[in-house]
Amino acid sequence: MVLSLIAGLAARSAAPVFPVIGRGARDAVARLRLDPRIELVDSPRRAAVLLVAGGLGERLIEATRRVHDQLPHPRATLHWALGADERGQHGKLPGEPIAAADPVDAIRAAWAALARGELASEPDLGEDVDPAPWRGIGPYGQGGKGMTGGVPYGRPLAGRAPDRDGLELDQLPLRLGPLLPILPPGLELSVLLQGDVVQEATLGPNPYETDGSTTAGPVDAGPVGIAELELARARHHLRWVAEALRLAGRPALGLRALALAEAEPERSASSVAVLARRIERDLGLRLSNTGVGVIDAERADGLGPVARAAGADIDARLDDPAYRALGFRPVLHADGDVRARWRQRMGEALQALDLAARAGGATVTGDVVEWPRGPQPRVGRAPAAPLLELVPGVIVGQEWGVAVAIICSLDLDLEEAALTSVARA
Amino acid sequence: MRIALSVLVTSTLLGAGVYITAVLDRLAGARVAGRRPLLATELIEPAARAAALLVQRRTTTERPDDAAWALAPALLMAAAAVALASVPLGPDLAAAPVADGLVLYGAAISMVLVAVFLHGWSPNSPFPLLGAYRFAAQGLSFPIPFILTLISAGLAAESLAVGDIVRSQHGLWNLVRQPLGLPVFLVTGWGLAFWGPLALPDAADLAGGTTAEASGGAALAWRVGQHAVLVAVAAMGAAAFLGGWHGPLLPGPVWTILKTVAVLAVLVAGGHQVARVRIERFVLLAWVVLIPLALVDVFASGALAL
Repeated sequence: MVLSLIAGLAARSAAPVFPVIGRGARDAVARLRLDPRIELVDSPRRAAVLLVAGGLGERLIEATRRVHDQLPHPRATLHWALGADERGQHGKLPGEPIAAADPVDAIRAAWAALARGELASEPDLGEDVDPAPWRGIGPYGQGGKGMTGGVPYGRPLAGRAPDRDGLELDQLPLRLGPLLPILPPGLELSVLLQGDVVQEATLGPNPYETDGSTTAGPVDAGPVGIAELELARARHHLRWVAEALRLAGRPALGLRALALAEAEPERSASSVAVLARRIERDLGLRLSNTGVGVIDAERADGLGPVARAAGADIDARLDDPAYRALGFRPVLHADGDVRARWRQRMGEALQALDLAARAGGATVTGDVVEWPRGPQPRVGRAPAAPLLELVPGVIVGQEWGVAVAIICSLDLDLEEAALTSVARA
Repeated sequence: MRIALSVLVTSTLLGAGVYITAVLDRLAGARVAGRRPLLATELIEPAARAAALLVQRRTTTERPDDAAWALAPALLMAAAAVALASVPLGPDLAAAPVADGLVLYGAAISMVLVAVFLHGWSPNSPFPLLGAYRFAAQGLSFPIPFILTLISAGLAAESLAVGDIVRSQHGLWNLVRQPLGLPVFLVTGWGLAFWGPLALPDAADLAGGTTAEASGGAALAWRVGQHAVLVAVAAMGAAAFLGGWHGPLLPGPVWTILKTVAVLAVLVAGGHQVARVRIERFVLLAWVVLIPLALVDVFASGALAL
C-alpha cells in the first residue's frame, strides 16, 4: 500500500536523467533543461534514465559503459539518435531507441515504468570484480609487508611534492571526463591535485575525433546573412551563459538565459539586457571571477571573444564592408579574466541582437567569418581547436573551483575542434 | 511523557519546516527562471522528488567507510533537531527549556561541520573529498561571526536562555536595537546550512560535492538534513532578532512560526539572487568583513547593556 503510493508519487516526479552527449547533441540536450517534466542530474548516482544522445565513437561508448553501471537500480538506457549514425553503438550498449522527435515523453514513460516496477532494471555491463583484490597478507590485505612498494590495494599511493606554499603535501592523480557534466562534453583531463589545487594537467584525446565520418567544417561556402549570423551569435552566447550560470550556482537564472536563447531572442532584446544587468550586479560572480584565469591578448590572439575580453581590437567583422556600413565597433574589455569574458559575451550578445535588427538582407563578403568563438576561415582551422590547447596552461596552479570556472569561460567545443582538425588533415 | 511530547513536537515542526523550505525554494527558483509557477505542482513536487529517491536503490563505492557514510545524514538531522529544540515557541513553551539555550544551540550546530566532513570523506571518492575540504575551510570562517551575533543578543538580554532573549525584545526587537545582527546572522546562516552562495561543499562545480556519490534514500536523508539545518537557522533568527513570540492578536507560537517562515523565505529567495562565492574569497570576506562587523555588534550591545 505505502510502497505503491510511493511508486505512484515517484512516477509523477520529474524523471532523473543523466545525458551522454554524442555528435550533434549538445544544444538539443541543453534544451531539455527547459522541460520541467525531466531533470538533468549532475551525477549518474541520482539518475534513473541514461539518455544516449547523438552518435558515439569508440571512446565515448567505452565511457558510457562505465557510467551505465554507476546508475542505481532501477535504471534504463534510451537512445536519442538525433539523425546521427548510430550503427557502432548497437550491441555495445543496452536500451531502446526513441522514435519520436521529442524524447521527453519516452523518457517519462520509461521512468514511470521503472518506478512502478513494470520495467526490469538493466544489469551491469562490466564484471563486478575487485580492481585490487584482497591478498590476505599485510594490514591492508595488500599482499606483502609494509606498503609493498607503495601500492596498497594495487593502487599507487599518493606521492608527495612541495606545494605552492613550500609544504610537502600528498598528490592525488585523477582522470576526469569525457562524460563529467562540469566539463565541456567530451573533454578528458588528467590532473594531479594537491588538496584542491591543480598541480599538473594534461589533455586527453578528443573522443569526437575517433572516427573520420564527418569532414565538413562548420562553415560552408556561399554568402552568410548578417542577420542570421548575428542571431546565431546571440543564441550561442546565451546558451553559453546558461551553462556558466548553472556551474556558478545560479541554475534558475541559467534557465532564464536558456529560455531566451531558445525562444526568439530578437524579440526580447530588453529581457536580454535585464539578464545582463542581473549578472553584472551579482556579488557572488564579482567576488569569484574577478582577477582569475587571466589570458592576455597575446596568448588569446585570434580567439575572438577571449581576445577581445583582454582588450585586443581584433574582429573579422571590422574588415567587412557590410559591417562597416552598419557602424560596427567591437565590444572590448580590458582585464582578460573570467569576469571580463562573461561581460564580453553578454555584451556581444546584446550587440548581436542590435546588429541583427538593423542588418536587413546584408551578407558577409570576406573569406573569414567572425564565428561566435572567433574568426573562422572558409577553409581551415576553427577557433575551437586552439582554445582547447589553452586549457592545461590556464588551470595549473588554480583551485579546482577556479579551474572549472576558467574552463567554462573558454567556451570549448570538442566536437567543433574535431571537425575542423579532420577537415584539415 | 514530556520527553516523548518534545520529540514529537520538534520532529513535526522540523518536518513541516523542511517541506516548506523545499516548496519555497521551488517557488523562488521558478520566479528567477521566469516561469509562472503552478502552486499545486510546486506543492506536490518535493514529495514526488522524495518518493523518486526512495524508489532508487542505494549504490556504493569502492571501499567506503559505510558506518560513517550512514551516520553523516543522521548526525546532520540530529544536530538540526537539537538546535531547533532549544528555540522556544512561546513563553515557557520550548522542547528543550534549558537555562543556557544558546550554548546548547551552539553545541548542536558545531556538529554540522563534523557531519559534512564525514559525508564527504566516507565515500572514498575525489569530488566528495574535495567538498569536505572546502567545508573545513568554510567551517573556520562562518561560525565565529554567527555565534558572535547570537552573543550580542544574549548580552542585551543579560542571559543565555533563548526565552530570556525573546523576552528582552518586548517592545523593541533586536532587529532595530542591533541592526548589524540579523544581516550577519543570515549570511553566516547560509554558510552553516551550506546553502545558496555558500553551498560550497555540495557545489555544482564538484558535480554535487559530498553528495556526488549519494543515491536513493541516503541522498534524500542528506537533503532533508540540509533543509533542516536551514530551518534551525531561521527559527533562531526569528527568536533572536525578530522578537520570537511577541506580536499582536495571534497567539505567541503562531507568531514564532510565522516569523520563522518569513526568515526562511528571505534565506531561500536570497540564495537564488547570488552566485556561489569561491571558498578562498569567502574566507577573506568572513575574516575581514563579517567578523569585524560582528565584533562591532558585540561591543555596541555590551555598551548598551551597561
